Amino acid sequence: MSEVIPKLFRINTGSCNGCDVEFMPTVLVEKFGVSTLGVEMVEDIKDANLIAITGPLTARSESFLKSAVSKIRHPYVVVGVGTCAITCGIFRDSYAINGPTDKIVDVNVNVAGCPPRPQSIAEGIAKGVKVLNQVMNGEATPKTIDAIFKDFSAPESFRGRMDLNPDMCTACRTCETVCPSTAIKITEIAAGHVHNIWHNSCCYCGNCAYFCPTGAIFSTNSFDTVKLQSEKYEDVNSEIIKSSTCSSCGDTYMPPSRGLLGKGYVHDDVKKLDTKICSKCRKEANFKRMYA
Amino acid sequence: MSEKVEIGPFHTELEESVYFKLEVDKNRIVENVEIINGFIHRGMESLVTKKNFMQNLILTERVCSLCSNNHPMTYAMAVEQIAGIKIPLRAEALRVIADEVKRIASDMFNLSMLTHIAHTHQLMKDTMNTREHMQDLKEVIWGNRMDMSSNLLTGTKYDLDERKIKIILDTLDVVEPKIRDLQERYENDEQLKSKTVGVGVLPLKDALEIGVTGPVARGSGINNDVRVKAPYGLYAYRPEIQPNVSLSLREEGDVHARAMARFGDILEAVRIIRDVVTDMPEGDTYVDKRPHIPAGEAVVRTEAPRGELIYYLKTDGSQKPVRMRWKVPTFTNWEALKVMILGDKVDNVTMILNSIDPCISCTDR
Repeated sequence: MSEVIPKLFRINTGSCNGCDVEFMPTVLVEKFGVSTLGVEMVEDIKDANLIAITGPLTARSESFLKSAVSKIRHPYVVVGVGTCAITCGIFRDSYAINGPTDKIVDVNVNVAGCPPRPQSIAEGIAKGVKVLNQVMNGEATPKTIDAIFKDFSAPESFRGRMDLNPDMCTACRTCETVCPSTAIKITEIAAGHVHNIWHNSCCYCGNCAYFCPTGAIFSTNSFDTVKLQSEKYEDVNSEIIKSSTCSSCGDTYMPPSRGLLGKGYVHDDVKKLDTKICSKCRKEANFKRMYA
Repeated sequence: MSEKVEIGPFHTELEESVYFKLEVDKNRIVENVEIINGFIHRGMESLVTKKNFMQNLILTERVCSLCSNNHPMTYAMAVEQIAGIKIPLRAEALRVIADEVKRIASDMFNLSMLTHIAHTHQLMKDTMNTREHMQDLKEVIWGNRMDMSSNLLTGTKYDLDERKIKIILDTLDVVEPKIRDLQERYENDEQLKSKTVGVGVLPLKDALEIGVTGPVARGSGINNDVRVKAPYGLYAYRPEIQPNVSLSLREEGDVHARAMARFGDILEAVRIIRDVVTDMPEGDTYVDKRPHIPAGEAVVRTEAPRGELIYYLKTDGSQKPVRMRWKVPTFTNWEALKVMILGDKVDNVTMILNSIDPCISCTDR
């Protein structure tokens, strides 16, 4: 088994320069550990065998990327850095975007984040090196690769992957409205609502968590976002927000969540409230109680 | 006999994609220059009209991640002007803190790229390591190293308590002596000076004619800092925190002068953050989370790390803007590149480009 010297080259296909700016310290600052991987930065794309691509692939860059990629000698490995490189992220709906990059190049490793932490980018490069070694030795790429850098601690306040607490959610769609990269979608089904968060589209801005009236959606400080291309479409957080059956009329309805009731009945114990009744029947019951 | 040289669009020394077509004579002096851009055009002006006001708070941040606090702040100021909302003084102070922290990190990044291109490795490493303190600070307080997501229409999303104020002050205490030390080394380092002094000169006359802004103007001896000339936000309420631009002004107009002008900006930003943090106004941090925005038009300008940033916003009372337009600092500084590059060595082209701190993603949008 022979070791390959990974030769790294970065291509910017129209990023907002966040990923590029984070890429430089990743490579240049020692504490992120890229120097321990034996990666060499090359000046010419012809010498490279490890390509890092940032940006959503603008229409103007497309032909230049094609010609640049055609110059690289096989085999090579591509690491997509940033949410834009994976799914075009926040710019997806624009006329000027022809991406994502995997339409043109075979991407091997994806690093989600907007921008990803240098630790994530370093992890992405490390996984890229591993895949490169496997490719050079004629081995198949496995389904997943374990984390290479073990230290994944981030400050408490770090905005990482979003998570949802379905008990608190009432499917009010505030998060869907304020999400700039349309990473959240709420669909109605028979049993209630499905709340989906696509981590590979998310731009980690925390808008949903900030505007959520009940605190159901929140950001964790996890930044384990480096995935292989085969996992690209599986990185979804999916929760079901169950609807209830009205004890009075038997209709299905969306009950107010614990979080929402807690806001409305500040001084009462929320558990005591009879929530098994739909708003229509509640209105009638209240009317009868007051005027009958 | 002239030779044609092409640089870009994908090049290790270019942070963002841009394409130079140069004609050089036998002494490798640039005789003709053609700069082709548009690689980062993402159709932002169309995108912002498709998204609502809340989404645009984040989308404007992604116009450019290096000035990613100035863009949403200026946008929010334009919205507030249309809605006639006066934001609390505490929110103004919080905006200034976020803004100046970004300014330090942005300028430090440009300086480390300059030393990276000039191959002065020890200086580059030290600048980058000093910048990491600011990056860690951003991560602890705002939750991301680049896009802080601190602005809200009618205020700010974040607030500072005693503990966080202490973290900011402690970081500044660590960073400031390091910056002063770096400033002295940049001023006197022979290797750096031999590569930057007299390179990419922009004379005062040309600078005035082109209308350059920010550190590029200050490097050529022009003071047109918006924070001083047309104060906004807390700079208007408390004129004593305005930057002392004379500390940044340089006469030489070369790459070295622009780098030193950035040091002046950084040190003033450190001073401003200290002044604001130690004397925080009490009160709320926002007026209304989701305000109603009536029909109207507004033009707002602020000082981004690279210079003057102008926002034009037109609304019609709906949930989405009708038109949003930017004038970004690099737009005017870009024209100055032609003056700087012509008659200089072809090897210096990337360094001269870096010296205007180009934000191509702002310019191309």
